[in-house]
Amino acid sequence: MFSWKESGRIVSLLFVSSLILIPLSATILGGFKTTGEMRVSPFGLPREWITEVYAEILTDPNFWRYLWNSLIISILTVALTLVLGSMAAYAFAQAKFFGADFLYSYLLLGLMFPFAAAILPLFLTVRDLGILDTPWGVVLPQVAFGLAFSIMFFRTFFAQMPDELFEAARVDGCGYIRFFFLFTLPLSTPILATIATFVFVQSWNNYLLPLIMLNDRDGYTWTLGAMDYRGEYSWEWNRTLAFVSATLAPAVVFFLAAQKYIVAGLTGGAVKG
Amino acid sequence: MAEVILNQIRKTFGAVEVIPDLSLIIPNGSFTVLVGPSGCGKSTLLRMIAGLEKTSAGQVIIDRDDVTDAEPDKRGIAMVFQSYALYPHMTVRQNIGFALRLARRPKSEIRQRVDEAADILQLGALLDRKPRELSGGQRQRVAIGRAIVRKPKVFLFDEPLSNLDAALRTQMRVELAELHAKLDATMIYVTHDQVEAMTMADQIVIMKSGVIQQVGQPMELYNRPENPFVAGFIGSPKMNLLEGKLAADQNAKIVGVRPEHISISQDCGDWHGKVRHAEHLGSDTVAYIDADSIGPVTVRLQGEVPMKAGTPIWMTPVRGNVHLFRADGSVERV
Repeated sequence: MFSWKESGRIVSLLFVSSLILIPLSATILGGFKTTGEMRVSPFGLPREWITEVYAEILTDPNFWRYLWNSLIISILTVALTLVLGSMAAYAFAQAKFFGADFLYSYLLLGLMFPFAAAILPLFLTVRDLGILDTPWGVVLPQVAFGLAFSIMFFRTFFAQMPDELFEAARVDGCGYIRFFFLFTLPLSTPILATIATFVFVQSWNNYLLPLIMLNDRDGYTWTLGAMDYRGEYSWEWNRTLAFVSATLAPAVVFFLAAQKYIVAGLTGGAVKG
Repeated sequence: MAEVILNQIRKTFGAVEVIPDLSLIIPNGSFTVLVGPSGCGKSTLLRMIAGLEKTSAGQVIIDRDDVTDAEPDKRGIAMVFQSYALYPHMTVRQNIGFALRLARRPKSEIRQRVDEAADILQLGALLDRKPRELSGGQRQRVAIGRAIVRKPKVFLFDEPLSNLDAALRTQMRVELAELHAKLDATMIYVTHDQVEAMTMADQIVIMKSGVIQQVGQPMELYNRPENPFVAGFIGSPKMNLLEGKLAADQNAKIVGVRPEHISISQDCGDWHGKVRHAEHLGSDTVAYIDADSIGPVTVRLQGEVPMKAGTPIWMTPVRGNVHLFRADGSVERV
């Protein structure tokens, strides 16, 4: 039925996907088990489906506050990264100006800078700016660290746009700035969706930065909330797993919504004149 | 309608001089074709008229206004690009009306002018489609529609037909010529295809290495080429340009004879040779002949002429159609 080559490919794909699906399903199903059953059968289906744990979490106002905080921070990060990244990349792709290459290389240097190494100076800067314990204290550093890779992706994509498109628009009376809004952005949905998803998921799952910048429990993101929760119910693993499962949902939904664009964004060159 | 004057235009890219010093008048209402081989600077010249490329020196004057430093949209020009450059995310209607929308014309006026342009180009049924849903010829029409709608003083075409297949190109050539007659506007057209130049232009400008070789009406260039380059460029198959003893005997550097201006005979003639290869096109027969002591000569004969490789043959150039290009640059026709 299948050739050796196809069978090999299927087996390897099944293996790779199982690396993700098995822990993911164990996490989701764990929330439906008792603590005792968790220990005996961590990967199997629950003998009896217990919904109380999920119900308790979903009715807990703290849970929703954590999600809300994470959502605000992620959305602000995505919006700012897209706006700043696309505008900067547009300048690099379209305009020729003195020192462009140097500036671009300088920005790309950010790619090589480990986040954790900057954590102390970052904390001091954020403190001096007076935005500790506010969403901006997490948003701004995240945007700064996300710009390098987003500018790189945007620039590559924008540079593939045919020059004649801009020239035709110029003859029609369209300047650089209008062209950006009327042509570059509408024609770049694949790359916008790709960058948005990466940035969103990264921000959603960020633990270190909120841990340093947010001290007030009211401002906690879900990652901090999860740690808090685990500390409170450290022996009840089913609660922790249910909590994690519930918080995964928004990132997964965001990813699925943007998925079809992401493939196009990564393969690039979706513009034809 | 406008006259375009290029006054001592120069263009350099870094150290490379693309156009050394060029002056040209494009008369009001003319269909002027800039033609020349790749890299001769014809597209650069067109782009300088459009304002997409800055001039290094000199003046561009359109309709008595010096527009040398003006932005493209302030020059009263419209341009049709080789790759059409349609806006992929807009419908045909939005594509054609885009310039008017940018100029903040009232919606009713935009609608009316887009409909007018669509009527002229028979695009009425396609107005709600996106460019990707159109064929090559239809896309080219939309690109022309986008130019027409602005009612420009000068239309600029940058090799607009080179992406089309041969049949469609012929059809579009006729349509463009008709459009010129209908709109009575000044049109400047860049191509490397001398057939396009000959069939559409009322003035041809032949360029080589940024220098104008000759300006004139198509038949003038065909009958009275001023130098061997023009002689070889215009006409298909190209003119026989013969050097050596034959030229020296007539006190010329090069002797030029068009393939259609040579008659053949089995018995007698001026030059003797052997047929190397013959192309039978039905309407014409093109023979490639190795002439003794002259070299290869191309001959074009009307109708079907039976001919085989290796057949000996006599050739005689038609009197009055032999171009003698002298070393001092002068030309004599004998």
